[in-house]
Amino acid sequence: MNLMLLKRFRNELIVLLATIFALYAFFYKNSTDDFVKSKEADIQSSISKINRVIELKKVWKSKTIVKKINVFKTIVSKSKLESFKRRGQKVIIKYKGLNIKELNSVVKQIMNNPFQIVKLKINQSAKERYRMELICKW
Amino acid sequence: MGKSNKKILVHKDMQSLTTNENIDIIITPQFYTFLKEELGVKFAYQAKQIAPSLFDDYLDSSKEYQFFVYKCKEYWCFFAYDIDEISSFLEEKGVKKYQIGKIFFSQELSNSLDEAISLGDDTSLKSIDNIVTILPKRLMGVEYIYKDLDLKNISLNHGVSISSSFGSLIPLKQTIGMTILLTILGIIYIAEGNRIKGSISDDEQKEELLLSKNHKLSSSRIRESILAQYEPIDSVERVKRDTIEDISKLLSIKAHLKELNIDDKKISALIEADTATINQIIKNANKKNLITKKEGGKLVRVERVL
Repeated sequence: MNLMLLKRFRNELIVLLATIFALYAFFYKNSTDDFVKSKEADIQSSISKINRVIELKKVWKSKTIVKKINVFKTIVSKSKLESFKRRGQKVIIKYKGLNIKELNSVVKQIMNNPFQIVKLKINQSAKERYRMELICKW
Repeated sequence: MGKSNKKILVHKDMQSLTTNENIDIIITPQFYTFLKEELGVKFAYQAKQIAPSLFDDYLDSSKEYQFFVYKCKEYWCFFAYDIDEISSFLEEKGVKKYQIGKIFFSQELSNSLDEAISLGDDTSLKSIDNIVTILPKRLMGVEYIYKDLDLKNISLNHGVSISSSFGSLIPLKQTIGMTILLTILGIIYIAEGNRIKGSISDDEQKEELLLSKNHKLSSSRIRESILAQYEPIDSVERVKRDTIEDISKLLSIKAHLKELNIDDKKISALIEADTATINQIIKNANKKNLITKKEGGKLVRVERVL
C-alpha cells in the first residue's frame, strides 16, 4: 500500500525532492555568502591591523632614530647649543640665541622625525632671538 | 526481469474487481477509436503531432481525448481514448486510478483473436482483417465456441504509462518542467556558492604572506598589544605636529612668535602682532579649531588641548 501511495504521488514526490534540493542549494549559497563576507571582513581587518602595526613599529620604533638625534648637535653652531644630555631613550637639548632661520631648522627637524615630544619650550629672549628647551624620547 | 502487473481486459460487461495490487489494463474498442494510416513520417512524435487532425471526423467534440501512436509494419496505428471515461469506468469496477500501471490496446491482440472471445452475454471480441473489433454475439451464431484467451502468456509492447498522472495533483509534463527548473536553479546556487567560497582564498593568501614575513605578529593579542602601545603615541604626536604647522601658518612679518610651549596636556603659542593682524590671526585660528585668547592689545594666545 505504501508503495502504491508512493507511486500515486510520485510526481509530487519528485517535485518535492527537487524543491528541497533547490532550497538546500539556496541556503548553501546564502550561508556561504554570509560566511565569506564575515571571513573576508575578519581577514581585511587582520591585514589592515598587521599593516598598521608594521607601519607604527617602523615609525615609532625605528632603529635609525639614534643617529637622527645626533643631528641636533650639529644643526646650529656649537656656541648656541647650551646643553645636550642623552639618557637611554630620552634626550634633553637646550639652545640659546637662535635666530628665526635656525629656529625653523630645529623645528623642522623635530617635525620630520618620529621623536615623541615630551616638552618643547620656545621663548623670545631678544628681538629675533629665541631660547629653546626640548625633551624628546623614542 | 522486472515483475509485471497482472493484465485485465477491460470491456463494458466486465465483472467488478477486488484487488489492492497494481494492474495493467487492455482496453477493448469500446474505449478507443482506432485508425491505421500510411504516412510519410519517420518518428512517432511526428505522427502523434498530426493525430488530432486525423481523428477530426470520428470523435465526440464534447470529450477530451488523448492520443497514442505506434508503428505497425508499414502503417502507423493511431488510438484516441478518453482517459477520464476509462478511469471512471474502472473506479466503478473497484479499481482505483493509482492502481492502473499501463494501458494497452486490444488491437495488439489481433494475432491472438482470429477466433472470437466472449465479453459477457452480448458481445464478443474478434480480429477482422487484422483489426480487433467488438461483435454482437447474435452475429456469431448460437453454436459458436468462443476461445479462452490467457493474457498471462501474451506479450504486449505498446502501452501508455499514465499511472503517475492519474492520482497526481501535478501532471507529468509540469513535473518534468518544474524538476528541471528547480534542479538547474539548485546547480546554479551551488556553483555560485562554490565560486564565492573560492573568492576568499586570495585574501587568505595575502594574510598568510604578510604573516610569513612578520611571524611575530601572527598572534592577534600581540598585534592588539602593539597597537594599544603605539596608536595613542601616533595620534598625539600627529596632533602636536599638525598644531605646530597650523601655528606657523599664523605667523608672518607682522606676527611674531613670542613663545611656544608643548607638554603632555596642551600646545600653546603666544603671538605678537598689531590689532588688525591679531583679528585676522584669531579668525584663521578659529577656522582651524584652535582656541584663541587675547592677552593685552598686541598679544594673542593660541592653544590646542591634547
